[in-house]
Amino acid sequence: MDKTRTRTLQQKSSAKWLIHLFPLPALLVYVIFVLYPLFSAFTYSLYDWKGIAKGSFVGLQNFIMLFQQEPYNEMFARAFGHNVIYFVGEMIVQNGIAFALAYIIYRKIRGAEFLKAAYFLPRLLSVIIVGFLWKLILNPNFGALNTLLAKVGLQEWARPWLGDPDTALYAIILVNSWFGIGFAVLIFLAGLQAIPEELIEAARLEGAGGLRLLTRIILPLCMPSLTIMSVLTFIQAFEAFELVYAMQGSMGEPYYSTDTLAVFFYRLTFGGAGGGDTVAIGLGSALAVVLFAIVASVSALSLYVMRKREVQH
Amino acid sequence: MKTSIAARSLQVLFAYLFALIALYPILLMIGSSFKTNQQIFANPLSLPTSFSFKNYAELWEAVPFADFLWNSVIVSVASVLLILLFSAMAAFYIARFSFKWNGYLYFFFLLGLMIPVKLGIVPLFLLMKKLGLLNSLWSLILIYTGSGIPISVFILTGFLRTLPVQLEEAARMDGCNNFQVFWKILLPLVRPALGTVMIINFIQAWNDFFFPLIFIQKEELKTIPVGMLSLFGEYEANWSLLFAGLTLSALPMIVVFLLASKQFMEGLTAGAVK
Amino acid sequence: MKKRSLTFFLTLALGSSLLLSACGGNGSDTAAPGTDQGKQAGDSKGEVVLQMHSWRVEDVAGYEKVIKAFEEENPGIKIEFKPFKATEYNTILNTALQSDSGPDIMQLRPYGAGMALAEAGYLEPLDSVKGLDVFSKESLAAATGKDGKVYGVPLSLNTTQIYYNKKIFDQYGLKEPKSWDELIAIAKTLKEKGITPFAFGSKEGWLLSLSHGVIGPGAYNGSAFVDKVLKGETNFLSPEFQKSIERMKELTPYFPDNFTGLELTDLRTLFTAEKAAMFINGSFELEGLRKANPDLQLDFFPMPTDDGKFVITTWVDGSYGVNAKSKHKAEALKFMEFMTTKKFGETFANSLMRISAVPDVKTEDPLINKMADLISTSPTPYLMVVNFNEGNPTTKQTLETALQGMYLGQLTPEQVAQEVQKSAETWFAPFKK
Repeated sequence: MDKTRTRTLQQKSSAKWLIHLFPLPALLVYVIFVLYPLFSAFTYSLYDWKGIAKGSFVGLQNFIMLFQQEPYNEMFARAFGHNVIYFVGEMIVQNGIAFALAYIIYRKIRGAEFLKAAYFLPRLLSVIIVGFLWKLILNPNFGALNTLLAKVGLQEWARPWLGDPDTALYAIILVNSWFGIGFAVLIFLAGLQAIPEELIEAARLEGAGGLRLLTRIILPLCMPSLTIMSVLTFIQAFEAFELVYAMQGSMGEPYYSTDTLAVFFYRLTFGGAGGGDTVAIGLGSALAVVLFAIVASVSALSLYVMRKREVQH
Repeated sequence: MKTSIAARSLQVLFAYLFALIALYPILLMIGSSFKTNQQIFANPLSLPTSFSFKNYAELWEAVPFADFLWNSVIVSVASVLLILLFSAMAAFYIARFSFKWNGYLYFFFLLGLMIPVKLGIVPLFLLMKKLGLLNSLWSLILIYTGSGIPISVFILTGFLRTLPVQLEEAARMDGCNNFQVFWKILLPLVRPALGTVMIINFIQAWNDFFFPLIFIQKEELKTIPVGMLSLFGEYEANWSLLFAGLTLSALPMIVVFLLASKQFMEGLTAGAVK
Repeated sequence: MKKRSLTFFLTLALGSSLLLSACGGNGSDTAAPGTDQGKQAGDSKGEVVLQMHSWRVEDVAGYEKVIKAFEEENPGIKIEFKPFKATEYNTILNTALQSDSGPDIMQLRPYGAGMALAEAGYLEPLDSVKGLDVFSKESLAAATGKDGKVYGVPLSLNTTQIYYNKKIFDQYGLKEPKSWDELIAIAKTLKEKGITPFAFGSKEGWLLSLSHGVIGPGAYNGSAFVDKVLKGETNFLSPEFQKSIERMKELTPYFPDNFTGLELTDLRTLFTAEKAAMFINGSFELEGLRKANPDLQLDFFPMPTDDGKFVITTWVDGSYGVNAKSKHKAEALKFMEFMTTKKFGETFANSLMRISAVPDVKTEDPLINKMADLISTSPTPYLMVVNFNEGNPTTKQTLETALQGMYLGQLTPEQVAQEVQKSAETWFAPFKK
């Protein structure tokens, strides 16, 4: 009697200890292959670098240079500004249109499955392919877009979309929206479909019309999916690299008009396009720290606010 | 519905117009791959008048596409499986137990959501070298697993928290230990969320080009995006070949999607929004 | 049912991991330290395989011939030539070198940029390589470190010039220009006839410094001005340099529509499709142009200067160096030795249609021979590559983006010159007061 009892107890305590193994594999892979490299890269920012060789410890000098010395401070400010435009642009174009589309589908439409699939299809392509494809479409002289404009009599609208600093950044944002809109539609649609039918019925019985229904009932109830999508968009906008790199190169051409912080980081760390350019790994790493701080603090804050609001519900 | 018919038709028009905008460039890509260069330059918008597979034949000669495809499959499938297993275990621990450090642990994982993994590329390369994993698909699998874990733990934990605990308690009463509870009860319950995690990470791993660019230099070990990148460099002026290359690279994913688009899209959000 | 699908999952996981260890490069063999980067320790015959990296994706076929010639003379050594896209080459090479791996033999960017690798200790000094003395001091300068040691064997000499379409020129009775005004007159005539005078685009920065490298010496009369700059006796705010920038602007009406959005490939297409009559580019572009349109009647002229002469802009393009951490240094050095021989020079020049850095190598191509002759009679250095490719961003990059800004109407020629001067002052010793 006693013996069996101790055995089960032992079994239980050993099982209890074993439970701590559960998060271990995830933790290990994550720490070794994500956190450790990143934080060792952060320490690089405290050293002086001669080309790609590590020099002596210099404290915060790289950060001071990044923010105070020309042309780095100008490049930083300009790239940061582009990231902000990128974010705002994505919010308006990608998420705005996506919400409208999600709402139309939510209100029942023939061919809903087809529409969702069509919107989502671009998201399946590799960004490098998306960039290349659009570069061909937007090519000033042989591209499909300018040809299309000429065909419908709008020649004077044709321009070197990616070669004109007034349009290049917006062109990239539009391409990115083309790429990401399907995902946003799905997220918003899931948010809309999670709204209890009764709430909407009740509001309708009280005589709420389409617009009122949308602003008073539906939008507030969609807040979780809206917030998630905004945070994702923010992170994506501030880490924007691949599309710009694929379409405009590591100089954020033309004349830095599409430069973003991540492209600037790449340029500092690996040198510019065409080769033979110098690298500044200390500066690049300092920029990485700053970039991480921006993204982490803003997204952590918004997630925190969202959770708090959810708890209040 | 109270909306007027005119407003509604406008909405429908808008929805289908956007479907056209989403699809047209892809159709253009596929269509152009069957044309000759002259046809593309003379008439970029039109559909191909005849279907020439010459570009594809030339592509097949120029690059070992079958190898690229196989590598992409292995890397994506293996990293997705590892992510599923590891993050489900971690999420189980975080969501179903209340050790005092669980909050911190959760936050610790969430930190990874905001990390651009590329920033650590140089130390990562050094690490891979020490582990002897350069020019091995394992380097990619481990990186994709590591960088996919945060979002997956986030989704799975969120999903688990919404599930009732009664089933597990019942199982424990029956004498199941933690492993059995996890395996027999939890995993089947979180299947919708596992679907989400699977799809998000699969797309990510399949399409990445940055890491293979750095870690894989053997031609026969390259994944599709990187393998095709060198092709893009070599044939810069040969547009019809480029379009064929783009089409070929996108094709496997598009085919999979067309076969299971419903599961794909439902899976994508099933676990993310309860 | 659910249980079964899970078991299936796991079997799959297990199965695929087995599969992986089978195809991930034969497990421990490739995983052994020092064998990464595809360096095979050699097979049973004791054959050594050297990895050779380059940024010339276009040259694979040509290099095959060169390497074959080497392998025939050196049984037991195999060379695997692996080019990467020029834009990704530095990323791949730097990352590899920083962790003490990388290829045995690597192509080095010319002058300061390539020598940064030597300063960081990644390159083997080559002073003791036999035959290195065939090269002139100017050639070796491209691969000489700040410590005075030579770290690379020069590969080829590049020139930049204005290519033109002979058929179009003949059709309108145009002749090679003897002065700047004649060049502008030609451009004007072509434009009136509805032909784009210059295949030119400003989307890619490096094409701008390259074009300035051709147009500039015409305005500042070549090397005399360069010497004065290098001594610090004059600088980029001088009227000569300003004039060179203004001339870049003066050409604007003769560029194609939408030129701010055009890239190299577009320019090639314009020129080889005979829609544009002139194309400012390098000797390295010659073979590509011929391949794109074998019927193109191609010729070039050097840049006329304001004092009635003409100059051709030249520099040493990439050289090849040896990884200081290579496991097969002796074999790699053998290849370096081979690179100094006439046999190498001739094979290289003829199979890649380039000007070999090995002196007195003739090719079967009249245009290449004409370039080589001009190099010996009236050369002027590509100032931005040879002397001003330092700083961060480099002075060369600064000129490129500033010129881009000028073509976009955001900077005046004076401002371009000021930006260049400002950049040079951050690192160029003679400019530091």
